[in-house]
Amino acid sequence: MAVTAVEVVYRGIFQRLLSRAICRTIVLAARKEGKIGTAFGRYSDSPERNGIPAKYFAVVADDPLELQETLAQYEPKAVDVSIVVDDSLCKGVESWAWYGLQPINELTKEGGTVLVTSIQESADLLEDMHVKDTPYNLAIVKGPKSFSGLWVYKDDHTDVRILGALAKVCPQLVGIDAYKETIREQWDELKETSANRAYDRVQSTPVEPGQGNPEEPFSFDMPGWETMEEALVVRPVSVGGGFRGGEGGFQPERNEVFKKWSTRTMRPVINFETCTKCTLCWLQCPDTCFDVTPEGLYDSDMESCCGCGVCEDVCPVPECITMVHESNFNDNSSQHDHWKRDRDGYMAWLEEMRAASTTEKADVGRTHGFYEVGQYEKEFEQTGVAGDD
Amino acid sequence: MTISTTDIREKEQLISGSEAIAIACAMADVDVITAYPIRPYDTVMQFVSKLIADGTLSCEYIIAESEHSQFEIVKHASAVGARVFTGSSGVGWFYAFEALAVTCGLRLPMVAMVGNRALDDPGAFGTEHNDALAVRDLGWMLRWVDTAEEAMDAAFMAWRVAEDPRIYLPCAISTDGAFLTHSQQIVQMPSQEQVDEFLPPYDRGDFVLHPDNPITIAPQVNEDWLIEIRRQTDAAMRRARDVIIEAQDDMNRIFNREEEDPFIEEYMTEDADVVLVGMGTLSLPLKVTVRRLREQGKKVGFVRVKWFRPFPAPELQVALSKFKAIGIIDRDYSLGAPQNGGVLYTEIRSALYDVTPRPPMIGFICGLGGREVTVDSSTEMFDKTFEVAETGHAEEPLLWIGVRS
Amino acid sequence: MTTTNTLPLIRGVQNSPLEEYYTSGHRTCQGCESALTMKLMVKAAGPRSIVLGSTGCMYVANTTYYSTPWVVPWMHTQLGSSGSAATGTAAGLKALMTKKKIKDEPINVVSFCGDGGGMDMGLSAISASLTHPEYNHLVLCYDNESYANTDIQASGATPWGANTSFTPPGKLHRIMQKRWKKNMAAMMAVGHPGVRYVATGCASYAVDLMNKIRKALTLGGPTFIHTYDPCPKGWDFDPMYSHELGMLGVETGIWVQYEVEDGVISLNGPSRMIARGRRKRKPVYDFLKRQGRFAHFTDEDVDYYQAKIDEMWEKWWLPGIIPINPEEGLQPPPG
Repeated sequence: MAVTAVEVVYRGIFQRLLSRAICRTIVLAARKEGKIGTAFGRYSDSPERNGIPAKYFAVVADDPLELQETLAQYEPKAVDVSIVVDDSLCKGVESWAWYGLQPINELTKEGGTVLVTSIQESADLLEDMHVKDTPYNLAIVKGPKSFSGLWVYKDDHTDVRILGALAKVCPQLVGIDAYKETIREQWDELKETSANRAYDRVQSTPVEPGQGNPEEPFSFDMPGWETMEEALVVRPVSVGGGFRGGEGGFQPERNEVFKKWSTRTMRPVINFETCTKCTLCWLQCPDTCFDVTPEGLYDSDMESCCGCGVCEDVCPVPECITMVHESNFNDNSSQHDHWKRDRDGYMAWLEEMRAASTTEKADVGRTHGFYEVGQYEKEFEQTGVAGDD
Repeated sequence: MTISTTDIREKEQLISGSEAIAIACAMADVDVITAYPIRPYDTVMQFVSKLIADGTLSCEYIIAESEHSQFEIVKHASAVGARVFTGSSGVGWFYAFEALAVTCGLRLPMVAMVGNRALDDPGAFGTEHNDALAVRDLGWMLRWVDTAEEAMDAAFMAWRVAEDPRIYLPCAISTDGAFLTHSQQIVQMPSQEQVDEFLPPYDRGDFVLHPDNPITIAPQVNEDWLIEIRRQTDAAMRRARDVIIEAQDDMNRIFNREEEDPFIEEYMTEDADVVLVGMGTLSLPLKVTVRRLREQGKKVGFVRVKWFRPFPAPELQVALSKFKAIGIIDRDYSLGAPQNGGVLYTEIRSALYDVTPRPPMIGFICGLGGREVTVDSSTEMFDKTFEVAETGHAEEPLLWIGVRS
Repeated sequence: MTTTNTLPLIRGVQNSPLEEYYTSGHRTCQGCESALTMKLMVKAAGPRSIVLGSTGCMYVANTTYYSTPWVVPWMHTQLGSSGSAATGTAAGLKALMTKKKIKDEPINVVSFCGDGGGMDMGLSAISASLTHPEYNHLVLCYDNESYANTDIQASGATPWGANTSFTPPGKLHRIMQKRWKKNMAAMMAVGHPGVRYVATGCASYAVDLMNKIRKALTLGGPTFIHTYDPCPKGWDFDPMYSHELGMLGVETGIWVQYEVEDGVISLNGPSRMIARGRRKRKPVYDFLKRQGRFAHFTDEDVDYYQAKIDEMWEKWWLPGIIPINPEEGLQPPPG
């Protein structure tokens, strides 16, 4: 039997068009080789939300009966390649629809590949990716994440670069020639060239069992019908109280079941020393993620922050709040606690984080979505094909 | 006519089915009632409004701007712990369909009266059972009644069973348009003390929506949860049988009623060769016909189905298997169904599948749009059923009766 | 009539209540302004509240099974039922309090709907709910200008020309959305004379919005608030700028902030300054160019859009509110 399945793990809305373009092109290219396939999204992800992880799949077989055998309507139980179009998803996936954190490589078969678009090195990504008890490969398509929105597609060739790399790491799915022909038909020769270049350049390294992030991912046991509450009742979250259980400030109680660890690509880093306690970050946060300290400072809680960046935008003090890419963090600990414990250490770390943010902005830009008409074209003119050096 | 407070304390009353249910609302101390006009059910709301105006009934009485709102309003009132009543007919019931569907999953004990009416188009006022039957799959308990007194008792039963914490499901009382909604009969009234003894207050326990119990009700689910939730509702419906039996026993004792079986009524069936089965007020011509045919020496009987949901399959299996043939009368239609049969026919056919001996069966559709079911047409149905008893099977499994050709 | 809670006005951001009754657990988009509207609404309303939510983003994304963000009691209602849910809940409470079956105390009832649920399907039920002076409740219509939960389909609140999944620009028709938005709050105020409070608001002006919520709940009877909620998903912009887009909507004059209290209308914030000539409206292009949903606009489209907003401010009896003019001799009210 020759059945090959791939998943594209992507950021809801931001990469919706991208993930569809990739999976559709896989199936159309497979036709050039006389194969048959199907492309589909996980339906329970379908009311997609900005930033919330979602999945799209392509399953290809030699003939229709083989394809039927895969039951390719539901999320496959295992895939040959897990394509990850935003490297911050390497920390795991909490989909829109379910509970608990799914490791990014959970569905990757033994000997399969996790293919990530990233400007990080494989060692950095492996710090985030959970350990697996079977060997697999980690391949990187060098480049920043490609984010756009629902209506205007950012055509920076990320789609075809992934397809070119896919032809290299998983030639049994579709070969490079079929991709090139399909890409030429769908788009143009420039994109065909990009695909070919990615094919030549993609780097793949083996990952051994036990290599990676040893943390046990957050999980949730679902009750059955006899133990679930009747009448569609869910018990509430309680209101919370003083900061860290003390007298002053306020710390909301947080929902135990759904966390936003995997929803964000960046998080706010706060300079508590220049904060003027204006309240705007706290008040304007749609995710109720700020704890109010007794002295009137605001500490963002990483269980509930989804990384939207509104706090940075509303903060009237320059660089008091800086959004910093998730790759710079290995835990979800409190910044305020850190600052209280070790002011100098915190300020030094803060400078490091700001520098990382500045570098990221300079290198690849930091927008996660549409800013204004003509922006994507301008970026493409300035930087050319994403990740092409 | 005028109703005053003293009227409802009379031991015996001349009232319609609608009026009986309106009085039941007063005696049950219903908290929220919503009205919207559509013939024939709205007679109940005309009586309700008069009872309120006279001070006999104290409740929040809301004239909604559509049936959808009518049912949504009482649904939400029920969630905060209020006893509720509403109702509709025909396409009005269908206009509320979304609200009807969600009430079951929410497990809210809404009680509604359906004044059975034909569905548009063309507009027609007369009775047909397709309106109420449309919710048969969703978790509504469905009751069909025959007399004004039964309508009143059924209303008290409905609140008692629906509000039982083991159940918490909505319940609809079907009253045939015109025959029950617009004509008056003598009713033996229970006293307020008897009603209070039979019907405890509605207590929603810790499912009640209130700032002191700040629960979240009915959040969005996906495939990880929904089948479990449906299974819970199914379990509640299955429990309803025992709760109905329990409640009927109490009602018989407290109200001095003599209902032998809560689910079905058997009329002269003991030594019968063939019986007809139906629901609602067509029992009147059927009972007369049974007596006339018995005068001619024909051993016939009639079985009236009172609860359609939960469906009295065990009772019907016992009751019907002993006859040489049975005929099922539907005052409804289910176009394209197996044998082109009506809804009751199809359900009974399914209920008897495992029964030995399985009686031969024929279905009849008659009385649609409120057309009179006459003694002649009832006799014709018995004759056809006798033919089936003789041959052992129905040449034509389904006949439309009383249709001009 | 049962009594209402007296909720004092909040004097400046520094005096916002610390307590949150809408916490984490929701799965809304990054930068969701409607989630912020929910947070501010219940922060203003406080713990003695019941919230009803009709189908839409603030149901589906906001309140998924087992992961509720609500600290106060919350219940789903159907898409077109925000008005009925408000009436039913308030009526149920009133009946039980009147009959002394529960403690007689003021409880805020807030029922929310999106623009699809409120301005399309639920319009008649909201209208009906506003005709019951004996029930205290607030209907809050959070308007993100499309059926945002179902995939961004055009609603009665979608502005002219916007790209939605039901009105995509194409080769033959660049503009598929040829309708203009309904004036929902004005319709509610004008059509329901017994209503004591109707307002528009926007979470970008958080204290103003919270105070409008408090006024509505304190004045009592049925009340209505319409909020303007920039939607990063459907409008297609970087979620970081939800707050800015809300302000731009007001500053360009596309959205008008006002309240009608006991029959007296007043414009608030930048809208008031614009109306009084103390502030110039920003060009609508500043707003349009920031959103992917208008990316297909030509210069003519932008000019047309600007002309319609100019007309609203210059020709209407009340800008953004009443699109008709009096006969000669009748003077528009001052303001």
